[in-house]
Amino acid sequence: MHPFHPSYVFTVLVQLFPYIGVTLLMMLGTVIFGGAIGILLAKAKIKRRIVPRAIAEVYTYLTRCVPSIIMLFIVYYGVPALLLQFGININNFNKGVFVITAFSILFASNLGEVFRAAYLAVDPGQREAAVCSGLSEFQAFYRIILPQAAVHALPNFSNMLVNLMKEGALAYSIGLIDVMGEGNLLIGRNQGSYTLETYLGMAIIYWALTYVIELIFGKLEKNLSKGKKHATSVA
Amino acid sequence: MLFSVKNVSKAFKDNQVLKKVDLEVNKGDVVVILGPSGSGKTTLLRCIDFLEKADGGELDFDDIHTDLSHASAKTIEKVRKKSAFVFQNYNLFANKTALQNVTEGLTIGRKVPKDEAIEIAKKALDKVGLSDKYDSYPVQLSGGQQQRVGIARAIAVNPDIILFDEPTSALDPELVGEVLKIMRELAGEGITMIVVTHEMKFAQDVATKVVFMDGGVVVEEGTPKEIFTNPKEERTREFLMRILPDFNYSI
Ligand SMILES: Nc1ncnc2c1ncn2[C@@H]1O[C@H](COP(=O)(O)OP(=O)(O)O)[C@@H](O)[C@H]1O
Ligand SMILES: [Mg+2]
Repeated sequence: MHPFHPSYVFTVLVQLFPYIGVTLLMMLGTVIFGGAIGILLAKAKIKRRIVPRAIAEVYTYLTRCVPSIIMLFIVYYGVPALLLQFGININNFNKGVFVITAFSILFASNLGEVFRAAYLAVDPGQREAAVCSGLSEFQAFYRIILPQAAVHALPNFSNMLVNLMKEGALAYSIGLIDVMGEGNLLIGRNQGSYTLETYLGMAIIYWALTYVIELIFGKLEKNLSKGKKHATSVA
Repeated sequence: MLFSVKNVSKAFKDNQVLKKVDLEVNKGDVVVILGPSGSGKTTLLRCIDFLEKADGGELDFDDIHTDLSHASAKTIEKVRKKSAFVFQNYNLFANKTALQNVTEGLTIGRKVPKDEAIEIAKKALDKVGLSDKYDSYPVQLSGGQQQRVGIARAIAVNPDIILFDEPTSALDPELVGEVLKIMRELAGEGITMIVVTHEMKFAQDVATKVVFMDGGVVVEEGTPKEIFTNPKEERTREFLMRILPDFNYSI
């Protein structure tokens, strides 16, 4: 073991900094695609129509039990093999595509749960009052329910993002070069020196990202909670 | 006749809550529905506004004629735009100010230009005595004030009929008066209303017709005088005796 070099942690930060973008893109893609599936899952569970609901429950059950790393490999090997059956070759697609696919499948149920809980947190009487006021169901949803549900969703959504970010570090296992992937390459290039410094640098990056996510969502929640309890001072 | 429903039936699972209920309302009427808790009063109002889907029954409202169980989305919208609902627990939009609660049905529901809607909404809020609360959010208002916003929201759209479902029963006793006072004023102006309430004084003074419901049927209906001094049905008498301590004397 060579002596610990605190200053090398700083070098690591500088070298890994550009790869934060990859991590963030992976999160964004997952939120968009997983969110789309999540909306369908939430809707199926709220509406309680038997077939969609059963599908949603089974989906949630199946995906909940699969560790991220296994899902990553299943998607990475499975999807190209499956598509090859139909004559479509995606073997040289960007690794990010597989990562986003795997995490979208996995996090859709978490996102769906966040959406569902947020929707149910808004008193259904407001929807009724809205349609009785002459709004359509859609107008009632996006003008009255959605803005309030979004505020309810923020804390859980922010937690979910932090989880996704941490799980996302596993993407290096199929060869994605994000913060974790590049960190590992760095350790390889240094032939094992500065290993501790590199991991510390990575931890600091993930810690900083978490801090920023929670800061942003805390602020958002504060700004968006119009008409919620703490606004009483205006009265 | 302005408004009528016939043969309204509704069951929740095997609980038959409404059993062929009829109700007729003329323009300018204040129809008060009385009845013990669980008799189906709320469900009847909710079926009329399609918040609950009736199993059967017909609705005639101005030029609208529809089946309650098979109404098209368009008909439902039409009925809702010609009527207003005042809820027991107010159901104000929590993310909107008092003023926005009132303008919403105008600007979004009825495409009234914004300036005009604000004008109308302010007048409605002034009328219910809330000229100093335009910009307050529901959480900043007392129950009585919230219900008054609920009433302003209803009258602002100039509906042909307003449905009130126990508008004062969630209020602290000292706040009931301010809401009833406004409802009396509306009745005085000839606004057509169906009011579910336990406020017997209001029913006696204001109603043009009193309907007594029990067990999902209309047991008896008549003028306040007929119902309160000379009820024909035993069930009506029992109910009034329970709810009016001095009922016996008024016979
Ligand atoms: N959404 C519902 N699901 C199941 N049962 C209901 C529902 N709404 C009302 N009921 C039942 O219908 C009956 C009548 O209720 P309601 O119309 O609220 O009576 P009221 O307003 O006269 O007190 C009650 O037995 C109540 O439990
Ligand atoms: Mg009721």
